Amino acid sequence: MIGLVRALGILTLDRLRSLGNATIMWVTALAGLPRRGDMALLARQIYNIGVLSLVIIVLSAFSIGAVIALQFYTQLARFGAEDAVGLGLALVLLRELGPVVTALLFAGRAGSAITAEIGLMKSTEQLSSMEMMGVDPLHRIVAPRLWAGFLCMPLLTAIFNVVAIYGGSVVAVQWLGSDPGGFWSGMQDTVELWDDVGKGMIKTLVFAMVVTWIAVFQGYDTEPTAEGIGLATTRTVVTSSVAVLAIDFILTLGMYGDFK
Amino acid sequence: MSEDNYIEIRDLHFSRGQRKIFDGLSMDIPRGRITGIMGPSGTGKTTLLRIIGGQVRPDAGQVLVAGHDVCRLSRDELFELRKNMGMLFQSSALFTDLSVYENVAFPLRVHTHLPEDTIRDLVLLKLNAVGLRGARDLFPAELSGGMARRVALARAIALDPALLMYDEPFTGQDPISMGVLVTLIKNLNLSLRTTNLVVSHDIHETSSIADKLYIISDGKVIGEGAPAELRRNSSAWVQQFMHGSPDGPVPFHYPADDLVYDVIGDGGR
Repeated sequence: MIGLVRALGILTLDRLRSLGNATIMWVTALAGLPRRGDMALLARQIYNIGVLSLVIIVLSAFSIGAVIALQFYTQLARFGAEDAVGLGLALVLLRELGPVVTALLFAGRAGSAITAEIGLMKSTEQLSSMEMMGVDPLHRIVAPRLWAGFLCMPLLTAIFNVVAIYGGSVVAVQWLGSDPGGFWSGMQDTVELWDDVGKGMIKTLVFAMVVTWIAVFQGYDTEPTAEGIGLATTRTVVTSSVAVLAIDFILTLGMYGDFK
Repeated sequence: MSEDNYIEIRDLHFSRGQRKIFDGLSMDIPRGRITGIMGPSGTGKTTLLRIIGGQVRPDAGQVLVAGHDVCRLSRDELFELRKNMGMLFQSSALFTDLSVYENVAFPLRVHTHLPEDTIRDLVLLKLNAVGLRGARDLFPAELSGGMARRVALARAIALDPALLMYDEPFTGQDPISMGVLVTLIKNLNLSLRTTNLVVSHDIHETSSIADKLYIISDGKVIGEGAPAELRRNSSAWVQQFMHGSPDGPVPFHYPADDLVYDVIGDGGR
């Protein structure tokens, strides 16, 4: 019994220490950037993290938008309410699917890459050698990735939303023959700048922070072995995905509130 | 701190988990000389370099580098001090996404505001010193182990540091690369008057270039002095190490039960 309590205590302390380390790393890294001269590092990470994620974001967005429009259309057509497809699609995407799916895809595509890259740098002593050269890896390696993630994810979400709505319009308007006027004006009338677009962006900013933080920390904290890097990469994707879904629920509850 | 010493270590204690790595270790590293630190694998030689570089904090003791107590320096002061240190890692630790040229240019670009022309000249001179000026456009993945270590050496001396630390520079090198590295370390010391600290267990190579040797085992210094003095040292520990005898005070066998008992078990179960 005492052994169990002890093991539980050690595990809890371990997790708390890990969280403390992650927070110190995050604050130290963010405090350093962006300065002049670091822009090249930042631009390179924006390319790696943001631009290279575009393909998967665009493809997924188009297909998700198309599928939602298809589902909405078949259900709404039974009540003769095909015109509502546009507004339903926009609300679902802006409030929920845009930020959440982008964050999940981002964790799988960019988060895992960040963890593996930093983990490998650690295991080949590149981070150590940087430190010994008087260059802080938190500033040089970690900070640009954190900032790039923070800047890219909202943009990727915006692109996701636009492409998904376009995908939906292709299905509903061009293929199934829904009235384009109804499709677009329904959307225009219902979507609120703050309530739908703004709050969706707040979600995406929070997700950006959480996912890049997890990815960078897992890489930085990895056991410097092949197995350690594999585990850290898996942990990045799993932890980020669960965290995004849990935080999404809390944010939705907090921002769209009053459900009674 | 004595003027003659670049590094002074006093009563250093460090443990990893239950295992004591250093137990009251003290040593003086003379300025402008080559000092070898030798000892069996796992005695904490690499850890010692990391403590000197401030990457690992000891449990107790004092480590003075150029008059600064590295254990008490702030993060910024430590990074400032490290600009005066060069370290050659066992794995070379080159940046894999940068070419040989850019690897050597890295410390210059980060720490100086030199114009590109000057950086180019310096990088080519450093690469020339290690015989790899022609390999400037290669990437680390295209280099052999020996070449990678020479590039890492060129990078370590890019800022002309006052202290150069080598972590097992001869391990895993073919005889030619090993000879090249020995000559390079000696020549660099002669031409730049850098304080050199070579951590190694290659007795022959290290004794051929070192002015002073330390042998550590079980967290303590068990022998020190010039290589010739150490060879004459009467301690059984030092003799075993200097002559590479498989058995002696440092046992060949990891602690275990009696072999007969272990194999046959209790009564041939």
